[in-house]
This record gives sequence, structure tokens and C-alpha cells, in this order.
Amino acid sequence: MSLYEIGNLAVDIAGTRLVEDVSLTVEPGLCTAIIGASGSGKSLTCLTPFGLTPGIATGSIRLDGIDLAGADADQLRDARRRHTGFIFQQPLTALTPHLTVGAQLQEATMQAGSARPSRSELVQKLERVGLSRPDERLDQFPHRLSGGERQRVMIAAAIAHSPKLLIADEPTSALDASLRAEIMDLLDQLRVEQGLGMLLVSHDLASIEGHADQLLVMDKGRVVETGPTADVIANPAEDYTRRLISATPRLDEPSPKLAGPGDELLETRDLGVEFNRPGWRRGIILAVANAAIMIRQGESLALVGGSGSGKSTLGRAIAGIGPVTRGKILWRGGALPERRQRTLEMRRLIQPVFQDPVASLDPQWQVLDIVTEPLRNLRPDLTRTEREDLARQALSDVDLAKDFLTRMPASLSGGQAQRVAIARAIIAAPQLLVLDEATSALDPLVGAEILKLLHRLQEENGLSLLFITHDIAAARRLCHRIAVMDDGRIVETGDLQEVIDNPRHAATQRLVAAS
Amino acid sequence: MLTRHFPLVIVLVIVALALSLPWLLSWTYDQIDWDAVRAPAFSGSHIFGTDEIGRDRLARLAAGTQITLMVAIAAALVSLIVGIAWGATAGWIGGRVDEAMMRIVDGLYALPFMFIVILLMVVFGRSILLVFVGIGLVEWLTMARVVRGQVMTLKQRPFILAAEAAGTPPIMIMVRHILPNIAGVALAYLMLTVPQVVMVESFLSFLGLGVQEPLTSLGILVKEGADDMDMTPLGLLLPGGLLVVILVCLTIEGERLRDRFS
Repeated sequence: MSLYEIGNLAVDIAGTRLVEDVSLTVEPGLCTAIIGASGSGKSLTCLTPFGLTPGIATGSIRLDGIDLAGADADQLRDARRRHTGFIFQQPLTALTPHLTVGAQLQEATMQAGSARPSRSELVQKLERVGLSRPDERLDQFPHRLSGGERQRVMIAAAIAHSPKLLIADEPTSALDASLRAEIMDLLDQLRVEQGLGMLLVSHDLASIEGHADQLLVMDKGRVVETGPTADVIANPAEDYTRRLISATPRLDEPSPKLAGPGDELLETRDLGVEFNRPGWRRGIILAVANAAIMIRQGESLALVGGSGSGKSTLGRAIAGIGPVTRGKILWRGGALPERRQRTLEMRRLIQPVFQDPVASLDPQWQVLDIVTEPLRNLRPDLTRTEREDLARQALSDVDLAKDFLTRMPASLSGGQAQRVAIARAIIAAPQLLVLDEATSALDPLVGAEILKLLHRLQEENGLSLLFITHDIAAARRLCHRIAVMDDGRIVETGDLQEVIDNPRHAATQRLVAAS
Repeated sequence: MLTRHFPLVIVLVIVALALSLPWLLSWTYDQIDWDAVRAPAFSGSHIFGTDEIGRDRLARLAAGTQITLMVAIAAALVSLIVGIAWGATAGWIGGRVDEAMMRIVDGLYALPFMFIVILLMVVFGRSILLVFVGIGLVEWLTMARVVRGQVMTLKQRPFILAAEAAGTPPIMIMVRHILPNIAGVALAYLMLTVPQVVMVESFLSFLGLGVQEPLTSLGILVKEGADDMDMTPLGLLLPGGLLVVILVCLTIEGERLRDRFS
């Protein structure tokens, strides 16, 4: 008998059926993964049977011989408390901010009715999830820990009461690529050691490949395809699965055809960015030190690094929307002045696109005003009709219909919003786009389309791209060369494929291994 | 609208009555009817009777409501303008400037407000302008803090960076991107400031520090009513009740707005 078994599950919220006819099993010591785009109902499928969403679950749900489908609130709580551990996406918000790590771990241990654990037992629990200096960590508050450390504490708390089933809802989505691999390895190891059954939810095929035994592909509340993970990935039966697999960038896929670059366009020399520490305290933080990168006309440079490596700060400095404390930015060999002193023409040359597409559009403006904003400032010579014509042209360049001009940002999906943001960036005919994690927040299918769009724009217009990301595999689809950043410094540069084949610096090796 | 925003409808009806009644009544708020001192309700042309020197109670009630609401709205608007200007500047510039500006706000918060107002009154004499100044001095502080917080979070949003990259000058970013996005929250706090000011103004008037006779306000009417309570309780109940209704209704609407925007 399986550890956890769902048959013909349906989930309704306020009378609307959002999940239909889902069946899955989780065996002890094995991992079943659900994968799908946002809104496919994968989290609802996982959490509703335990009463953790507002939805109502119907169907047969059995956990270790207990029937959860007919259970009342008390029995559900009991099932959560004794037999199940949960890991959520946001490690910071999932830990209680005012309690120390030790206090939370103790509470988690005692939730199934076991005795108060001794300090050495708590230290052991933290050691098991690979946290360094566990004794010290017990007295620290969550805000002292980094994202990866918090996620380790979350995992330690989720398995502290020795549950039989572990439910992990996007456990690695908020982490960068190298941390992602570490956390997934840890989960594998714990699963095997303790005979835990694991139900894993993800939108990212790359992060579950090699970790999950069974795979369910979900789309629009239904199961599209199911089977052993390796089989599904090797021989996908359904079109949706095939698209999902081809959308997920891999290091071993054939190299894309990239147009040959032209003359040197932009160069930074010894660029440094320093910040004053906030408040009245003295001291500076060195975010970027001695950065030297070069981009040619029509070339894409991948700027890759973990979170906090300073890659976004460098990108903003180049785009002229962040401070530069020392060093020089050269444009076609001539120095670009400080950001406030750049002429309209100079500002037009470099435009940014950001990670969160919804937050990069002013919620009060309609798409036409958003897209034409650069023109109103940078091309004062154009009339209103000329601007609107260019806006229509820009929208068609990013494959959006004309009627999007009157839409408001709130009515756009993530992918559409990112297209609008790209339209705004290209409307004033720039020569360099700074793409700050422009595909990271999107579903894989949408992200792949945006990558394709950028590739096309580069071919058609000879645009240069600075592609800032933590995902080398995604960068490989678009970029000629790579610059790897670690702790504010450029540690390695070179041809992208050569660097992947032969990474020299430890940070590069970590990033390549994680992809 | 009628059922959902019932409190707002009540306030609007009160405002409409306060504005129209002086035109409809045959008595003005400072006119003394020598034939009917302390007249009971519904005697002759005085619907709610007259006060202890023979002035029509309904006319005084309408005039008092007018003054109270006028002071409240004017002071709330002043606090809105000053608060937004101060808070937005501090939040936008940030750093040391922000620290300094917000410490000034903290300092003003710490002043004993009643004491300052009484001092002002003693030194400069009673005037409606001083009531404005006194109330305006404190009411903008909260608005400044709220606006500063909003501006600081908005400043981090990518669309502000995108606007900067699009060449939009800082002043235009402020006007076109930031202010429209804080308008909702500011409006909600404006709605909550109005009842607060009504309260403060009535309190000052009750202490005899508000507007000067024969001008009147709800606070003064409550005080007069309280002095003459044993003879004619209506003189206290009418303005007191009206004050309570206005305060409750405005607060309910204000909190509803605030919940919607935050």
C-alpha cells in the first residue's frame, strides 16, 4: 500500500472547479513531483487535502491508511501535526520573525507530542540539514540567516517530528541556481535516510530532474501526463509536456545559432560602486569592485552570479540608473559622463528591462502611455501621432496586438507585461538592452518565448544585450560570451561555451554544476 | 451606494442641511428674539426653540456645523498639502536629509500640543486663523509619516527605475508616477483626519479657545448647552448628538477607504 494516495481529486473554491480528476501516489522513500505553470492547480492539489487552502477537496485521499477525505478539522490537524511536514517557497515569511531558530525547531519537534528536546538534540537536527555552526544558529533570529540557510532551517523544522510525508511547495524557487542544487540534494539525502515520502511541487523542470521518481505534468487544473520522471522526460507523450521540456534550457542541448558580433560598443574600466551604510553609521559597502566588461555591437554578454554578487548593481550602473563611484564607462571608445549629465541621445542608447514584469509598469498608466514614456522625454521632436505609430510598431515587434495599447497593467499576464516592458525599452531605438533577470520570474514556457523574442530582436536590429541572470543554461540560448561575478568582482570571462566546458573559478564551477 | 455608503450619505445630508438652512430659516444665528428667550421646541417659528438669550437653536446649529466642518476640511487640506510635500521630499531624497526631516517631525510630535495652542491664544488673542495654525501644526505630522513610507516603497519599484532610464526628469517622476500612486492612501488618511480635526476644534471651542462669539461652532454649542443643561437639556443633546453622528460616520468611511488602499 502506498504511503499517500489521492484518487480522482477535485478542488473547488467558491463554486468554481479549479482542479479536476487528479490521482497520484507517494511511496515511502520516493519522491513524486507535480510540475506545471502558475495557475495550473499544482499547489491546490498538494495543500487542499490538508485543509491549508480555502478550497474544498473531494475524492479519495488516504495518508498511511487514514482517510482524509471525510476527516473533520481536528483529524486534519492531527494528520498535519503527526504525519506530515511542510516546506514552503518563501523561507523568510515561513519562519516566525520574533522567535529564535532554536525555539521554532523545538516547537516543531514537540508538535507531534514528543518530549522537550535537549539542546544537543536540536544541534543534531541542524547538523543533519547541513547548517554550519549549528550551536550558534540556535540562538539567532531568522533575519540573521541567508535565504539558503533559512530554507535549511525550514527543512529541519519540517522533519523535526519525524513525519512520514514531506510536502514541498516550490522549495527552491526563491533561491539562486547553485543553492537550488544544494537544497535538492539535501532533500534527496534526507528522504533516503529516513524513508520519507515526498510530494514536490515546482514550475521548473530543471530543478526536479534527477530528483523525482514519479512525475505529474499539470495544466489548467488537470493532469496532462504522468509516469516515471526519466520516461516522461525522455519520451513525452503529450504536446504540452514536449513544449515544457523544450522550453526548459539545458546545458546539453545543441548550441543556438547566433549572429556574429561587430565593433566594440561598450566597455567598463575599473568600475566600482560603493554604498554608504544606511542611517548615521559610518562605513561603506563595496557592491562592485574593479569591474571590467566589454560588449560588441550585436553581441549578448551573460552576466552571471549568485544572489548578492553585485550583478544587478553593475547592470544598473551601466544603464545609468544606479550610482557609479569610480571607474569609467566607455561608449564606442569615448567616455560616457555621469548619469545626470548624459544627453538625451546618450540616455536613449541603453535601456533596462527588469525581473518583475508587473512591478515594472506603473499600475496607474495605460499601456500606450507606458510604452511611449521614453519617446516623450528622449525624442521631443516627435508629434503625438508619430509617437503612437511607433508604439504600435513596438507592440507588433513584441508580438502583442494593437488593442493592448488601451489596456491597464493589472489586466496583463506576466508574459504580456514583460513584452510591454520590452516594447518600452526598444521603442526609442536603443543599441544596448540591460536585461536584469528578465526571464527569471516567468513560467518556463513564457520565459522561453521571451528568450526567443530577444533573440529575434537582436537578429533584426543588431541590438546588443547584457543578460543578467543566475541561470547559465538560459543564458546559453542567447549569449555569445559570459562574465561571472562573485562577491562584487568579475571572476571569469570568456566565450560562453568554453567557460561551460572548462570553468576555472570555484563560483563558475558551482553555477555550471547546478545547471 | 445608498446602503453601502450609508455613513457617507448621512454626512452629505448633514452638510446639505447646514448649507441650506440659513437661507430657509427666518432667523439668523446671531439674531435675538426678545419675545422668546429659552423658548421650548416647536414654539412659533423656532423649531428647536431658542437658547438662553433668545437665539434660534436650529439656525445656530446650522451655522456651528458649517464652521466646524469648514475648519475641519481646511485644516485637513492644509495637513494634506504640507504632509505630502514634507513626507514626499524626505522619502524621495532619503539619506541624511530624510533623517533630519523626520527627526523634526518626531520633535513636533513630542510638543505638548494643547499647551502650545493655549500659549498662542494668550499671546495673540483668539482668532479663527490661530485655530487653523494650531490644528495644522499637529495634523500634518501623521500624513507626512504615511506619505514618506509610501514614497520609500514606491521608489524601489522597477517602474520608477524604468522611468529614470526613459529620461523622465525627477520632478516629473514625482508628479506623474509617485503622486498618483500615493493618492489613494493619502485620500484615505485625509478622510480620517477630518473627524480628528472636528474633535480637536470642538475641544478647543469647548475650552473657550476656539472661534469667537457671535460666530459659533459645534464645540461652543456643546459648551453653552452644558452650562444650561439643567434648564434646557435640548441645548446640549442637539449639538452633542450631531457631533457624535458626524464623527462616527466620517471615521467609518475613512477606515473603509484606508482598508481598501493598504
